[in-house]
Amino acid sequence: MPRDRGWLGIAAVVAVGLVLSLALTERYHHRILTLVLLWATMGLAWNVISGYAGQISFGHQAFFGIGAYVTVLLAAKLHLTPWLGMLGGAGVAVLAAVLIGAPTFRLAGIYFGLATLAYPLIFRILMDFLGYQEVAIPMVRDHPVLFMQFEEPRTFDLLALALLAATLVLSRLIETSRLGYSLRAIKENEQAAEAMGVDAFRCKMAAYVLSAAPAALAGAIYAHAILFVVTPDGVFGVIAIVQTLTVCLVGGVGTLWGPVIGAAIMIPISEILDTTAGDRFPGIQGVVYGATLMAIMMWAPEGLFWRLRRRPASIARATPVATAPGTAEAPVTAPAAPGPVLLEVRGISKAFIGLQALSEVSFDVREGEILGIIGPNGAGKTTLFNVLNGFLLPDRGEVRWGGAPITGLQPHVVCRRGIGRTFQVVRFFPHLTVLENVLVGAFAHGAAPAAARERARASLGQVGLAGQADTLPAGLTTLELRLMELARGLATSPRLVLLDEPLAGLSADGVELMAVMIRRTRAAGVTVVIIEHTIQALVKLADRLVVLDHGRRLAEGAPGEVTRNPAVIEAYLGKRWLARHAPNHAATLQP
Amino acid sequence: MLRLSNLSVSYGGLRALEDVSLEVNEGEFVAIVGPNGAGKTTLLKAISGSARVGGGRLEYRGRDLTPLPPHQRAALGIAHVPEGRRIFPSLTVMENLELGSYRRAARGRRAEGLESVMTLFPVLQERRQQAAGSLSGGEQQMLALGRGLMAAPELLLLDEPSQGLAPRIVEQIFETIDRIRRASNLTILLVEQRVVEALELCDRGYVLETGRVALEGTHAALLADPRVQRAYLGA
Repeated sequence: MPRDRGWLGIAAVVAVGLVLSLALTERYHHRILTLVLLWATMGLAWNVISGYAGQISFGHQAFFGIGAYVTVLLAAKLHLTPWLGMLGGAGVAVLAAVLIGAPTFRLAGIYFGLATLAYPLIFRILMDFLGYQEVAIPMVRDHPVLFMQFEEPRTFDLLALALLAATLVLSRLIETSRLGYSLRAIKENEQAAEAMGVDAFRCKMAAYVLSAAPAALAGAIYAHAILFVVTPDGVFGVIAIVQTLTVCLVGGVGTLWGPVIGAAIMIPISEILDTTAGDRFPGIQGVVYGATLMAIMMWAPEGLFWRLRRRPASIARATPVATAPGTAEAPVTAPAAPGPVLLEVRGISKAFIGLQALSEVSFDVREGEILGIIGPNGAGKTTLFNVLNGFLLPDRGEVRWGGAPITGLQPHVVCRRGIGRTFQVVRFFPHLTVLENVLVGAFAHGAAPAAARERARASLGQVGLAGQADTLPAGLTTLELRLMELARGLATSPRLVLLDEPLAGLSADGVELMAVMIRRTRAAGVTVVIIEHTIQALVKLADRLVVLDHGRRLAEGAPGEVTRNPAVIEAYLGKRWLARHAPNHAATLQP
Repeated sequence: MLRLSNLSVSYGGLRALEDVSLEVNEGEFVAIVGPNGAGKTTLLKAISGSARVGGGRLEYRGRDLTPLPPHQRAALGIAHVPEGRRIFPSLTVMENLELGSYRRAARGRRAEGLESVMTLFPVLQERRQQAAGSLSGGEQQMLALGRGLMAAPELLLLDEPSQGLAPRIVEQIFETIDRIRRASNLTILLVEQRVVEALELCDRGYVLETGRVALEGTHAALLADPRVQRAYLGA
């Protein structure tokens, strides 16, 4: 979505809110409007951590409740105005987010979600224990404005609208910032994000803190506009999170419009059912509400926003990249004289339970070369890459980068030092354009959004995908996705890039084109290390090959030498083949 | 008996098999060798129905297999012993074997089948009440083979029976396959990485290279052909 349209959308939401607030006359209708605005805010807050970052929080009402309790307690005990009190509440919520996040983000996926269930329960019990089962807002008749006690219901609408607007602006800023792209990368594939230089823990923490504050403010306003008496059940209870999840799931997750749409539809339905049908047939409101919810979810499982959004006409068409001008004349530079050693791998061993994946693997990567690492499946190739880029800590051995040890550094740090990486299985972000898919990597060195965009565009140009930059990746061919993956690796401005099976499964033409792009990458001054399990393609592409078998370095040298090496022939075709076809070699191999 | 003509299979845009044509005659033992990623496993999956055929023809006894779901192909007598064995680890050896005779034609001959499997693999008889997950790798492979035989198949598809096994056990497995074949005149399509072992056993072989048939011939011809090595090493 273009930038300005986002801001226009926010302005439109504010305008509609203002018009409704001015037009409505009945106190009850104002109450519904306030609720819509507050739950939309709460949904947006949840959306920051769970929608963008994909860390599903089932305990987000913890912050809502903290906001309500802290504000009201400060007013009741210390006579502090809730205008300041709610800032205090937000502060406490942020602190709580840090304390909760630090241990909980160590858990991945659904375990994170399950752990978050615990925190509101803890706060409920704590409030009961402290004797705050019911905390009434103290009536201060002489300073109603100072103590947020308005006779005029419109005031609460406007207050909630202001908070919603602020949260929309916050969400919008996150969406278009480095943080936003990093969060979406984490949601899609945390490992890949880290390999592109994203500090996943810090990003998740930032998102959690940024989602705790609006939730707390919403809780504070909710207490004054709706509750008047704060109870553990009312603010930490399960209803609060159910309401939040409902507005988000109905409206759509991962977009700032989803929670607004969801709240605008579901909250009025719920309220009106309560007062109309619920009067005559007690309980029927729940049935109708549930049926409505199910109908919407079946029609729009991803939420109404994603269902209704007109598919942009710009889904990438599968234009054959091979015919794109400029790709044919590849700078086929003869392998330059080997440069100085860039990466030293010394005696790396790594065992998993019962399996020695790597034992005593050593080799050098020289600046400006294309080094192929080959070996049958299970030879330890991917494990080796995982050690090189910091996903795995080796049991023994050392990796040195430009002379300095990098073993044990976090993947995002390794990436920022200049080692980029691609993955065999390309996982793209379906709602982002090709350019935005590449953008995450371009932020690796802390560039400003505009500079990062330039960098990403340049990497796409480098792999011949410039024409598809502003389209969605859904229509790309496998080859184009692989090229996009290469561009992602290049966007981190690496000095060395590790390519994980970039040729696997490509057609002969695809292999040819990919090889051209890889040579071009080298010509642009990037050293290349490639993993493949088939040797054929690499024989032509690589300057040198390292052969791994059962975790050991079996051979190293020029492709021609390596494929004649009896040990390599044996690894690929077996001892008995060797005995038949190269009996002399086989004899020398016998101990 | 089985005929593939210009068969193509793609996974999410990746072409795993391209224009593969091969045939297996009644009673024949055919081996398919080739390096990792050549599409060997995909080929067997296409035949047994767990991979969708993208193009070309797939005929079994003159009948087009492509519209049939996997269980109907099994009912026709095609048994697939998958890569990595895929036994049911929490069930006993006996239960695993009994599940193999699920096919209607095999149900009546369960006792008979069980006896011949137990004769082939005495070790399974010893461990009949043991959980299959507690067997060694070699025993699990025997169980997988036994389970395939319990279906009283007419065509047995074997996917890398040697995978992850020690050389001595591999030899044993290959010997057993040879015995099965001599005893029952079963038609076998074997996929293997171990070139020589597979080619020595079979009547005819195909060499698969990046989704295409690179070479085909009798076992003797392939064993002597240096081009087989090229399929693996590219030079």
